[in-house]
Amino acid sequence: MSYVIANQLTRHYDLSDPWIIRQINRRPKNILTAVNHVSFSIEKGEAYALVGESGSGKSTIAKMVSGLLKPSAGSIHIDGHDLNGPILDGKATHSMRQRIQMVFQSPYASLNPRWKIGNIILEPIKSFRLIADEKQQHKRVAELLDQVGLSERDVSKYPHEFSGGQRQRISIARALASQPEIIICDEPTSALDVSVQAQVLNLLKDLQKEFSLTYLFISHDLAVISTMANKIGVLKDGKLVEEADSAELFANPKHEYTKMLLSAAPNIGVYVHSERKS
Amino acid sequence: MANPLLEIDQLSVSLQKRKQTLKAVDNLSLKIYSGEILGLVGESGAGKSMTGSAILGLIDPPLFISSGKIIFEGERIDQNTKNIRGSKISMIFQDPLVSLNPLRRIGDQLVETIITHFDVSKTQAFERAKSLLEEVGIDPSRINAYPHTFSGGMRQRVVIALALAPEPALIIADEPTTALDVSVQAQILDLLKKLAKERGTAIILITHDMGVIAETTDRVAVLYSGRLAEIGKTADVLKDPKHPYTKGLVASTPRIDANSLLEKLFQIPGAMPDLDNIPEGCPFHPRCDFADAQCRKEQPPLFQNRSACWLSKD
Amino acid sequence: MNRFMQSDFFYHFRNTPVAMISFAVFTCIILAAVFANIIAPYNPFDPASLNLMNGFTPPMQANDFTGEVFLMGTDDQGRDLFSTILYGLRISLFVGVMAVALAMVLGVLLGLIAGFLGGWFDVLIMRFADIQMTFPSILVAMLIYGVAKGVLPPDLRYEMSITVLIISIGLSEWVPFARTVRGSTLVEKEKEYIIVAKMIGLNKWQIMIRHILPNVLSPVLVIATITFALAIIAEATLSFLGVGVPTTKPSLGTLIRIGQDFLFSGEWWILLFPAITLLALALSINLFGDWLRDTLNPKLK
Repeated sequence: MSYVIANQLTRHYDLSDPWIIRQINRRPKNILTAVNHVSFSIEKGEAYALVGESGSGKSTIAKMVSGLLKPSAGSIHIDGHDLNGPILDGKATHSMRQRIQMVFQSPYASLNPRWKIGNIILEPIKSFRLIADEKQQHKRVAELLDQVGLSERDVSKYPHEFSGGQRQRISIARALASQPEIIICDEPTSALDVSVQAQVLNLLKDLQKEFSLTYLFISHDLAVISTMANKIGVLKDGKLVEEADSAELFANPKHEYTKMLLSAAPNIGVYVHSERKS
Repeated sequence: MANPLLEIDQLSVSLQKRKQTLKAVDNLSLKIYSGEILGLVGESGAGKSMTGSAILGLIDPPLFISSGKIIFEGERIDQNTKNIRGSKISMIFQDPLVSLNPLRRIGDQLVETIITHFDVSKTQAFERAKSLLEEVGIDPSRINAYPHTFSGGMRQRVVIALALAPEPALIIADEPTTALDVSVQAQILDLLKKLAKERGTAIILITHDMGVIAETTDRVAVLYSGRLAEIGKTADVLKDPKHPYTKGLVASTPRIDANSLLEKLFQIPGAMPDLDNIPEGCPFHPRCDFADAQCRKEQPPLFQNRSACWLSKD
Repeated sequence: MNRFMQSDFFYHFRNTPVAMISFAVFTCIILAAVFANIIAPYNPFDPASLNLMNGFTPPMQANDFTGEVFLMGTDDQGRDLFSTILYGLRISLFVGVMAVALAMVLGVLLGLIAGFLGGWFDVLIMRFADIQMTFPSILVAMLIYGVAKGVLPPDLRYEMSITVLIISIGLSEWVPFARTVRGSTLVEKEKEYIIVAKMIGLNKWQIMIRHILPNVLSPVLVIATITFALAIIAEATLSFLGVGVPTTKPSLGTLIRIGQDFLFSGEWWILLFPAITLLALALSINLFGDWLRDTLNPKLK
């Protein structure tokens, strides 16, 4: 059985006016279906990417898989457990949370500016009671910083002392601190410069190998996705229009929308690899 | 070659921070000719937007032009840009909402711009506005609509129509597609290409996206720490980059390719230095694999009109 | 400390004369109040040191009967005005500090909870704040003061008068704190580090206190300085109106009220010196607070 199974995921948003105003204007409720019966599955250790333009519902799916948002209909199973099932008591929710972590787009908003780096990374360790001994905790933080290419000396610095790329590394270290099995990456590099983006993407790749992590990648950037994901789902207006292995999708796109996305994406490859265009 | 439309000659833009003088743009020289699209590419803080602002005379204190000349159609404009700005040179910004007045119909905004620049009647201006909209791919019957009724991409088209209204010789487009979806981005870039080709308008396209550069521009200037690292025909620069920074930039850009999953991306170590921390010599040397003693001491000039790197000397 | 000396904040301070002067004046006044018992030549609260014969001595002139000279003259009971002002400052500052502290704690907490939890609690708190804001705060303070005085048993009224004053001023000034903190909280709670905090299983209170609170405090500092000036003036107003501190322990407002009675009979100094002190105090706090707001607000740079 697949590790992550999203089955007929649906999410509505109620954008209606207040009841009284609806009555006066004789307007019905205004329900937006952000995600419409989306099913996909991710194998353990795989990197799955959801690609789509704004309004495609990709971030809503990320929130539902992370457990931050309940689906209106459908279910998410992780390692056989229903993420929103009634069986989960408080303790099970806790351990489920520990398995899924997230890395966000903004290197600025995802770190608390008033906290030192050491404490930011330590927080999940304390919250999940992973290590009790204080000395061991500090050792673990140093180890995590080392894994993402930062140094132990950085623990007493504040986020503003780091560049955007370094901050994303800190976010990744914090996500790793929970010892998760799944990391959801919501546009993790779209706020970064190209040379720094490559560093962060390579780091994510290395970590995936090292800890056999399962990734759910959310992005609008086909070029980034092509370097990261082995399976891709293309979303349009809340629906999954095409799903295929990465190589297959790029070589042989089936859906019109996928074809359009591929031809529209600005690609430096036109000059560097082959002479696709003049 | 013909005379350049715009020539930037050893331009420096500085700012005074306490007692330090920091250079946001340092000794930059560029030329642009009618009908071509010149890409200005660089990472954030490389000085690309600052260069655009300098051409438009939009440098505000604490920043100031500390040296150099900007010559447009044979006239110096770095001292006085009042008459040039907005008529001969137009600007397109990243966020179309900044350039449009949300409370006025797009037609009125176009007509107003046309009337201020040309001696035409209101009816004539209205007709011209309609043909402008048609040119940028908007149904002219929507001339009386308000900006908010358009989608992001359509709004950017309106902004382009507005920029075209004074019939400028040069358009500076600062990240015009960064806020847009990929599919819309391609359309806007095609539109810019069409304008350069059909109208002979010169376009300076400022972007951080190497993909956009590859698909759109004729020539490209790569900036690093406010300095010109490399300049040349886009095809030459991307196929055979001379400057180690450009090499790294090209190699580290992910490309759509069935095989790229297996490869690791090339990465340049470190990050671009802050303005108050630019190293001596070549600003790129701490991140460069080929740096030697000369690179650490002396700032390289532009060799062969192409690359500012000591390696390109011979 | 070294980092502070090199910060932009300190650099800006060094280059703004208004900020430096107002801060210096404010510091002098604070020091004078704190060390009143050392600086003041007399103890105005000690009836034994008073000599009624010294009453109405003009500043820097020998008294007709005793020949004593007073820097700022004396009042009707022969109290040295300079000493009385120093001791009065103590009371004014104490009431001001405590009232601001109360308003701050109340406002920050309510604003934080209202902003983070939202829903009916938010509506309740903020509408109540709106209603309170439609009344001038001095009126609110007087109302609370009046009710408190009525509720308290008569023998406690006298002892509790300063506490009651602090509570009434504090309760009348919490709204700006609550509004600002609520606004910043609404912005802050949407940021991704809060989502991460939720994902690692922190509860609402932990997120509010550990993550949001430290990030909404810097505007609070600015409001606190400005409210401090307002609280001191409110105290002076209440005391001037005769509902504040008792005359035996006069604050600046009480002194101004006493002085006012003698203004037209020619003893101008009894009004003038306490009034100048109050003006200098309130003005220096306000100017410093304005500078602080401009400096800490990146939008105004």
